[in-house]
This record gives sequence, C-alpha cells and structure tokens, in this order.
Amino acid sequence: MKIRTLIATAALLALAGAAEAQTWALKAPIAAKPAFLTTVGQSADIEMVKVLMGRSAVPFTANAQAKAGDLAASGAKTLVVVLGGSTKGLGAAGISADAEIERARALLAEAKKLGMTVIGVHVGGEARRGQLSDRFIQAAVPACQYVVVVADGDKDGFITKLCGAAIPMDKVERISGAVEPLQKAFK
Amino acid sequence: MARRSTSRQRTSTVLAAIAALLFTLQAQVPAQAPLNLYGRGATGANGVVAAAKPEASRAGIDILRMGGNAVDAAVATGFALGVLEPNASGIGGGGFMVIKLAGMKEAVVIDFRPTAPAAATADMYTLDERGRAVGNASVEGGLASAVPGEVKGLLYALDQYGSKKLSRAQVIQPAIDWAERGVPVTVNLAQIIKDNFGKLTRFENGLAIYAKDGFPPEVGDTIVNKDLANTLRAIQARGADAIYAGDIAGRIVAENRKRGGILTLDDLAGYQVKVRKPVTGSYRGYTLVTAPPPSGGTHVLQLLNILEHAGVAALGDRSAAAAHLWAEACKLVFADRTAYSADPDFVHVPYTGLASKDYAKTLAALIKPDAVMKSPAAGDPSRYESGSTTHFSVMDKDGNMVAVTKTINMFFASGVVVPGTGIIMGDDMDDFELKPGSANSIQPGKRMLSSMSPTLVLDPQGRPFMALGSPGATRIIPTLAQVISNVIDRGMPIQAAISAPRLYQGRTGSLSMEGRYSINAYNGLVALGHTVTVAPDYDATFGGVHAVLFDHAAKTLHGGADPRRDGQAAGF
Repeated sequence: MKIRTLIATAALLALAGAAEAQTWALKAPIAAKPAFLTTVGQSADIEMVKVLMGRSAVPFTANAQAKAGDLAASGAKTLVVVLGGSTKGLGAAGISADAEIERARALLAEAKKLGMTVIGVHVGGEARRGQLSDRFIQAAVPACQYVVVVADGDKDGFITKLCGAAIPMDKVERISGAVEPLQKAFK
Repeated sequence: MARRSTSRQRTSTVLAAIAALLFTLQAQVPAQAPLNLYGRGATGANGVVAAAKPEASRAGIDILRMGGNAVDAAVATGFALGVLEPNASGIGGGGFMVIKLAGMKEAVVIDFRPTAPAAATADMYTLDERGRAVGNASVEGGLASAVPGEVKGLLYALDQYGSKKLSRAQVIQPAIDWAERGVPVTVNLAQIIKDNFGKLTRFENGLAIYAKDGFPPEVGDTIVNKDLANTLRAIQARGADAIYAGDIAGRIVAENRKRGGILTLDDLAGYQVKVRKPVTGSYRGYTLVTAPPPSGGTHVLQLLNILEHAGVAALGDRSAAAAHLWAEACKLVFADRTAYSADPDFVHVPYTGLASKDYAKTLAALIKPDAVMKSPAAGDPSRYESGSTTHFSVMDKDGNMVAVTKTINMFFASGVVVPGTGIIMGDDMDDFELKPGSANSIQPGKRMLSSMSPTLVLDPQGRPFMALGSPGATRIIPTLAQVISNVIDRGMPIQAAISAPRLYQGRTGSLSMEGRYSINAYNGLVALGHTVTVAPDYDATFGGVHAVLFDHAAKTLHGGADPRRDGQAAGF
C-alpha cells in the first residue's frame, strides 16, 4: 500500500470517527415542559444543569432544597434531579446526608404520585462520586425514567448498573454535550 | 525483496508516525491530578521556591537565576500565583509575609491583610437563625469585600527588602506572560471552577474569563486573562497607584457598589501596609518565627508548646495516643483563639501569654490520656503576658528566608470580577465575627482575624532551617504544627512530612482525619470517646503546605509541595 493511500485512509477513518453521530439510548421524547429542577445531594452541579436546561430551551423552576409539597404548586410536568453529594453544600443548606435522602425520597414519591417524568443528570464527573455521592445516586436513579451522565462519573459502571435495562441512560464526554440528550428528552 | 523491505519500512514509519501523533495528542492533556504524588519536591544548591503551582515556583526560580534575592523571587511568585491560581489569591485580597534576610537580626512581618471599609459597622449584615449573613452577603457580592492589600503589600516588600538589582517590571513580567499565555486547567482547578460556577454565574463578569462556551473549562483547557495582563502592566508602570488610585480604583469602587458594596475611593487610597514584629518561640530547641495577630502564627506556637509539654515526640507516629493528644491540644488552642485573637490595633491580644511555655504547661495539664474534653473554655493567658488562600516559601543559599500566605478568602472569593481588569474581589469580610460584641467584630479600618500563619524555623544553632505555611482556614494551625512535628520529632524529609496523613480537631465537634491513619489508631480513638470522621486519603481541606528546608550538612535546599492541591517546588 502506498504511503499516501495509508495516510488518507487513516485520516478518513479518523474523520469518520469524529463525525459519527452519537446514538442515543433514549429513542423518543418522554418529558413534558415545564420542568422543576432540584438536587439530590446539594452539590453545586445544579448551576451547570441550569445552563444546560437553558440551552435545551426547557423552561424550568429551580429550588435546590425543594420539598415534596413544592412540586404540585410549581405546575411542572417533569422533575430533573441533579445527582451527587457535596459536604459543603449539605453544610450550607444545614441538612444532614440522611435528611437529604429523606427529602429526595419524599420528592420522588410525590413526583410519581403527580405523574411527573423524572430525569436524573450527573455532570460532576469522578469528583462527584464516592461514598457520599453514591448514596444519593443510589437513592434517586431507580426513580428516574431517563439518566444523562458525563462519562467520567461512570468509569466504574456504577450508574450504568443502577439503570440496568429498564432505565435508558446516555453518556456524554463533556458537560456541554448534555444539551442534546436533554433537548431530545423533552417533547 | 529490497523493494518489499522498503515498503514495510515505510509502512512501519507511517504507523510509528500515527502512534507518535496519538501519543503527542494524549501528552498535551495535563494529567496533574491532585493525587499525583510524584515530582512535588525539588532540591537546589542555590535556591528553592515551593508554591501551589509549578509555573509559579519556576517564576520565582527564574528571578533568582537573574540575580534577584529571595524577596524578589517571592514577589514574582506572588504575582504569578494571582494569575495561575486565581481562585485562591490575587489583587483583590491580601496576606502576610515573614522575611528574614541573612543580614537581619530579627525577622519582619509585612501585614497586607485587607481592612474593613470606613462605612463598615458591627451590625452591617442581617443574620439568620444560624448566625449567618442573609443572602450569603458576607461571602458573595459587594458587601463581602474589604479594602484589598495585595499589591501594596507585595510592592512594599520589593521596595524595602528586594535586591534592587531587578526592576518592578521584571518581577511582575512572569505573571503577565501567564495571563496572556493561558493558565493550564488542572483536575484541581477544573473542580474548583465547577464548584463555584454558580457564584461566577451570579456575578456574570467572571464567566467571560472562567467559562468556556458557557460551561466550566475542562482539564486540558487554558484560561487566558488579557484584562488581568493589562492590569499587571499598569502596576509595572505605575506601581501600587495603578490599583489604589485612578481609573482602576474607580472601576473597583463602581463594580463593588453596583454589587451592593460600600467601598470608596478614599478606602482604597487610605490602605496601609502594617509592618509588625514577629511572634517568636521555640519547639524542642528550634526557634519559630511567625506572624502575630491578626494572623494565626501565635496559635501554631501555642499548639506546639502544649505538645512539647505533653511529650508528643515520645508517642508513636500516627498512634491513637498521639492523635488523642493532638486533638485535645487543638481544642484548647481553638478555645483561646475564639476568645482572644483579633486585630491587635483595635483589641488587646495577649499573644505573648498565648505563646508562652508556662501557659502551655497549664493547658497541657488539662489533657487526660484516657478522657475526651467535650467543650473546653478559654484559659487565661493574660497572667503569662509580659510584654479558600495560598502559601509559598522561598529560601536561598545565603540563608535568606521568605514565607508568604495570601488569600482572597473563599475560592473565587466574592465572585465579583471588576470589568476590564480581571480582578476578583475578595470576600475577607466573612472572616470577621458577624455580630457585635466580639474581639473580632467588625469596625471601620479593622483587619479581620486570620489563621494564615507563614512561619520560619531556625535550627538549634540559630541558622535558617525551614520556611513554611499553608492555606486551609482554621486547619492551617494544626496542619503546620503537624508538619513541623513530623520534621523535628519524626525526622521526616520535608516532602514526606508534607505528604503524611493529617488530622484536625476544632474546639468542639468531631475529630477529622485523613484515611491513611491505621484502623488501630481509629479504634483506639473511638474507644477513648472521640467521634472520628474519616476523610479521603489525601484531602485538600487539610491544607496545602509549601515549604523549603535547608540541609546545612549537605549544603542543599529541599523544597516540598502538597499533593493535596497542585503544589510543586522548583530549585536550582
């Protein structure tokens, strides 16, 4: 094979790889607008998800410490939960990890009662994993109908395993990559 | 045959080229994870700089190579850190510098801590039921900022103690170069920006610098700050006046007031560097020279004095008994710190008593080897009275020593970035006691209490031995004492002393320790009645110590830097 042919083939393969459209696990929109945004774990990652929601053109209300009773009043059709814990965030909110899990469980139960779609978003990467974060992820993911994860946060397949076959999960490489799957999730 | 061989060689060459390209692309991504334990330390026969960023350490070393002294190098490192570690320190903040040049009989402390604005009052914040400022106003926004001292402090040091061989412009140039070239985003910095993205978003000016396409930058990106480069150029040209008067001062005041602050042009013009006498003491024959109140050095001395009386050196390294002693001593020190420490220009601080061996003996007697104190009250040092930060250390072969700790307080401080200047305004006001009636309550022109404790250590022969310090809020005090103890009591090399696991105990609350403590120590502490919280193996909240140690026998300087953050020393 001539060198030029080899280089051209390598370049084409590289371009094809880069240009290949990501195939999404979620095949059709599942969520209605508007959305209600909260955290499960009080991490600052909610701030990045606010930007993602804005870019996805999904109208939303955000309350990091929302209680179950806040959902009905909001009129939201979809609950978006930002997954991952922060000791600093819990401290600032004046809430223990146990109390945060209780708040999340009550919120998720209320969302189910109201017929809301629940979407989990994990954008904190590897740093938003570990003993504390995993408790929150474990508590919330089974209640989700769809999960979007920045890949670094699932290197060990923990979230993939929690989602199993029942919950579609999409991974993106960078935080900004989460705009597209979120857009596609909303009708 | 020859033809086939040539073809194979070409194919191999092409494949090798592709592999090399892929390797190069990979290598361009900085993989400086906080847990990278390699390459943190450095040695040198002529000089060593240990700072929180390798590029800042190298900036200091370059100045030494150019013929500058340790102060010139420290000032260059300080300005460079303001660019390279923008979350931790910069023009909008301040700090403390301890200088002992070879010819000086006594060290000097330059206090360039920010001061409360003239319009500040003890009740300026509305407090919630937990005693915190409503709306986080002491931490975020204009009201969180005091009058910054960094530029006046660094330039005062340069003018008074620099070699005079290098110009102000030369010393500031490395900082400008990095602001224009772009700061590498490490794992550590990427996470800090993510954690503070909300603050940067709320005061939107910072997003233009610290966000990429509207999101936090990722590892491998660079942060270019042309505005800050221009501000530094103005300082090159006009000195401190570039910040404390004129156009930039006007912009600082305008943005501060737009965000609810109370700074005035008079506040900026009136800022004064304070030159203080250091607090000195000893630990097992070594002399410690450290920054007095409102800095925290007095309490580093106090802690070591208690441990000396209680005989910590004889207890096993990282044993339950040693950890118990550290924890109990910390409780006593923090009880006193809360009661007594404040700006000595406004409040009488009995720091000679706090640092006295006799007073420490009475405190050591309160510690029981088999019982845990619940909530110790402050002692009475007056009877013994006779008379989110970065740290970097510089020492050279002549025995010149400089230790500098400086801060804008929380990571990314108030979140307010002054448009067109690249300056992040500090949130040091949060270091005051937010309610009236305390020694550390707010008063106009007062400096808030700090735990920053840049410290110099002289060996038993009185020779320069070690320069060190750390960020980490109140954890600074026990962190520095532990590193000093590791070197003096355990004989550890400086890098090992810095990397060794740490513990922290406040006046009350649980004993927090890094995960590398043994299960035996953990069980022993629990059996004694301690509530123990186990942190990750290397936890950035335990500080970021950067130190230089002089091995006189080998005529070599050893720099140590903290793997918990992005620290890396450099030497030549």
